[in-house]
Amino acid sequence: MCKVKQPILRIPESVKKDTFAYRSRVEKFVQGQTSAVAFRAYRVPMGVYEQRAAGKYMVRIRIGAGLVLPYQLERIAQLSKTYGNGIVHVTTRQDIQIHEVNIEDTPDVLEGLLEVGLSPRGGGGNTVRNVTACPRAGVCPKEEFDVSPYALAAAEYLLQFKNSYNLPRKYKIVFSGCSADCAFASVADLGFFAHQKDGVKGFAVYAGGGLGSNPAVGLKIEDFITDNEILEVAEAIKRLFDKYGDRSNKHKARLRYVVARVGTQEFIKLYKIERQEVRNQGLRGDIPKVRAGASKFEVPRSVVDSDNSRSPLRHNVLAEKTEGLFTVMLRLNLGDIPADDLIKTGQTAEKFGQGLVRTSQLQNLLITSVPRQNIEKVRSTLEGLSIDVTGNGRGKIVTCTGAATCKLGLCLSRGLADAISDKLNQSKASRQQGETIIRISGCPNSCGHHYIADIGFQGRAKRVNGRLMPCYDVLAGAQTTERTAHLAERVGSVPAKKIPDLLAEAFAAGAIKKEQLKGLVERYDDFSSPEFPDEYYYDFGATEPFSLAGRGPGECGAGVMDVIKLDVDQAKEAIRAAHKTQAAKDKSESVYEAIIAAARALLVIFGLEPKKDREIFAAFSKHLIEPAWVKPQAQQLLDNAIDWRMGDRNSIDDLLPQVEDLAKRVEELFLSLDANLKFKAKPAAQKANAGVPEDKAQTQKHTVDLRGVACPLNFVKAKIELEKIDAGEILEVLLDDGEPTKNVPESFTHQGQEVIEVKNVGDHFCVKVRRKK
Amino acid sequence: MELTEQQIQRYSRHIILEQVGGTGQEKLLSSKVLIVGAGGLGAPAALYLAAAGVGTIGIIDADKVDLTNLQRQIIHHTGDVGVEKVASAEAKMRAINPDVKVKTYHQRAKADNIREVIRGYDFVIDGTDNFPAKFLVNDACYFEKIAFSHAGILRFDGQLITVLPGQTTCYRCIFHAPPPADAVPSCSQAGVLGVLAGVVGSLQATEAIKYLLGIGDLLTGTLLTYNALTMEFRKVRLKRNPECRLCGENPQITELKDEEQIVCDLKDCKR
Repeated sequence: MCKVKQPILRIPESVKKDTFAYRSRVEKFVQGQTSAVAFRAYRVPMGVYEQRAAGKYMVRIRIGAGLVLPYQLERIAQLSKTYGNGIVHVTTRQDIQIHEVNIEDTPDVLEGLLEVGLSPRGGGGNTVRNVTACPRAGVCPKEEFDVSPYALAAAEYLLQFKNSYNLPRKYKIVFSGCSADCAFASVADLGFFAHQKDGVKGFAVYAGGGLGSNPAVGLKIEDFITDNEILEVAEAIKRLFDKYGDRSNKHKARLRYVVARVGTQEFIKLYKIERQEVRNQGLRGDIPKVRAGASKFEVPRSVVDSDNSRSPLRHNVLAEKTEGLFTVMLRLNLGDIPADDLIKTGQTAEKFGQGLVRTSQLQNLLITSVPRQNIEKVRSTLEGLSIDVTGNGRGKIVTCTGAATCKLGLCLSRGLADAISDKLNQSKASRQQGETIIRISGCPNSCGHHYIADIGFQGRAKRVNGRLMPCYDVLAGAQTTERTAHLAERVGSVPAKKIPDLLAEAFAAGAIKKEQLKGLVERYDDFSSPEFPDEYYYDFGATEPFSLAGRGPGECGAGVMDVIKLDVDQAKEAIRAAHKTQAAKDKSESVYEAIIAAARALLVIFGLEPKKDREIFAAFSKHLIEPAWVKPQAQQLLDNAIDWRMGDRNSIDDLLPQVEDLAKRVEELFLSLDANLKFKAKPAAQKANAGVPEDKAQTQKHTVDLRGVACPLNFVKAKIELEKIDAGEILEVLLDDGEPTKNVPESFTHQGQEVIEVKNVGDHFCVKVRRKK
Repeated sequence: MELTEQQIQRYSRHIILEQVGGTGQEKLLSSKVLIVGAGGLGAPAALYLAAAGVGTIGIIDADKVDLTNLQRQIIHHTGDVGVEKVASAEAKMRAINPDVKVKTYHQRAKADNIREVIRGYDFVIDGTDNFPAKFLVNDACYFEKIAFSHAGILRFDGQLITVLPGQTTCYRCIFHAPPPADAVPSCSQAGVLGVLAGVVGSLQATEAIKYLLGIGDLLTGTLLTYNALTMEFRKVRLKRNPECRLCGENPQITELKDEEQIVCDLKDCKR
């Protein structure tokens, strides 16, 4: 039997050249001749990403149409074992990743891959990403025709041009073989749906779809194009994107934002113009021939349809369009497979299947065209793998990589996935799960594709009783089918720690449809409890309380913005409430709440998460009022608020206009944040003369202001001051309410000094100590 | 002197102590301690004194770090093998606390140099490993009138005493002269529990800090013995000896001299 050995996706010559040039660029970087920033801009479009663990890199290999040959898998596995962590990862876009590679070794990896016709070029950055297709293209009984040849041709065409690697943002192209849309063409930047019209093969085309923040379903731009027009369309959309995509803001750069900005009609008009221009000029470069794709791989002959026994793998065996042939699915846990098992999978496909392996959008591997009599053999070889691929409770959850390794992540999504699996297995609810796919994203970036989930979860931080709690929005009711596609809708949000129970109950009750789930989530959606168990403030597998502090500028982008927005929205909500209510007391409460939220909002970008009101105000003064980002008058507002809280002022409802100003300014600053988390807005006033109050405190003899200094450092400093004065003299120490007011006098007494007075002076305390010795 | 914000934080646990305070910490920062020998005893003493913010620390040793040292001389790391001990010790002290000024003397303490070296220090820690050297330190401190801590360790036993020369019992009050060669085995012959050096060297550092701050009771006129197997600490009262050849009523030792005796061959064995 003929097994084709040539790589399925053919790497253009220009990419080969780029790959050979990579080594010297790495060397220059390692020798310190290239800055990290400049190198990153070069490295990421080469498909090499830095991982969260310092100094480790991930190589993302594009697997065109998800079709990969056994010898290619063997090479990937070897490279993973030699240079990486020995675990290979299948992504939701049919890529395969090698993890934990040292930068010095990445040239060896790239060259090693190229030897077997693979490349990570364009795996990351603002590039034409992997062109994907139905995981069972060519064998699926439902498909109109095999779309894999078209996916490959589109990729080969676009990859040859340099400008495909410097687009405003990424450009994802998807081919689906029928309206069921297993490849998710309905939510791609450019999605093709196979159709036949009067016996002619062709496609309906959609554009501007995408997940991530502000997700969107694609807009139909062509009812029907013949199969030889796909390159023109892909080129036209690429040009449109290049011209109109917003390069200045990468968070608003994807094609769907162009649609949102110009409107659907204008978008289609722009597209028609580009398309006409491409047609007039003709395509440039090499025009790849549409070769037979997956279907050219011959299937094993002598199909004998004799054995009808039900295989133990039956849940993972799918009938193909040719009678007597089957697809065997290997369900991976979150897309991970040990390198040795990957090699064995390739060998199994070579021996008993079509001689190729497919990667699926659900992060699984498929061995296609296995004759019935070989299913048992496939099963027994797969049993020899070191991991369970039958999907006992696992493999029906798709997650992003999560905050453990991703620099953008908020929640530890993989930890949640494990907890869900454990719970479902324990409660036997995994059986009721059936083919329901759970999708989890640790943040709004939607790498876990929660917007197209049967049940989806999106990580978020919620402030509950003054502390940050890892929570997830629950989404349901997605449909990814041509024409009727719509995204999942939010039905509520719940603490992360409650999700396993929620799902167990949902599956047990059969509550998988949106309305049923909504009813159930409402019971879990109660954050009003004054107390939650402490563990609710810890993410899955975390030993530290859930926090966003320490996520420095540039690394947190979306995550931090999300948290700031929480507070900005809360401030606005409180202002609205203040307007509505008549009672002076309630009004003051709302005004106060708005001040706190507004003052707290931006502190996270300075790596601060103060909990007490006084600390929030102190930090706001220091980081926003003193550098004059906010007008100095705001200080008066904060002082008044504290006075009211301490009972020295009867009401603050009259301050509503000032609070509105403050909230408006904070939002203005928030919206002006750039990717490095620096304000682009102009300062509100001349820089305040910082330092004056401190000087004053020092010149006032025998008084020390230790407000804002935590225990025990406040005592340390007070003691040093006391040692400076003579015995018999008195030192006044200004302290915050709470622990300091208790601890500092106690410590002085313990050490034989005389505490004369502890006095509440409005918003703080004054402690008088006489030096005895 | 005024403590900086960083110093206040660094030494906050000292400053909180009633007996230390800001003034005590400032005293430490302006104090000077010399450590004779960067070995088992000198290592922990140097590390703790540096951490405590003793302003100037001198250290004298002629040797280089050997692999056999690493079992107990915790200031030296594996990568330091072959490096001068004083250089290795200096690097670690600086790393712990950049406040500290470190002076190194890459030489063997001898009769002809030791007085100049110890002159000007407030306190000396005797971390030597042989009898002649211990007598030399004792005598030199007597002539320079510098308080010091003597200590010795072997197998599982350690002992130490603090001497205020001319005022309290000195080493020669107890032991008149070095024992004859081969009468007492050396560490390489008899062995020594590594952590014992840590315990005793740390006790020496404790004495130094108390002396500098003028707090607590020093181990003067008292030999403290410690057995690591039985975990017994004993205090042995030892009066000044009127017949001490150094500090007695009729002193016979009027100048320093290098006494003859076996050198603990821990360091000879590598040659």
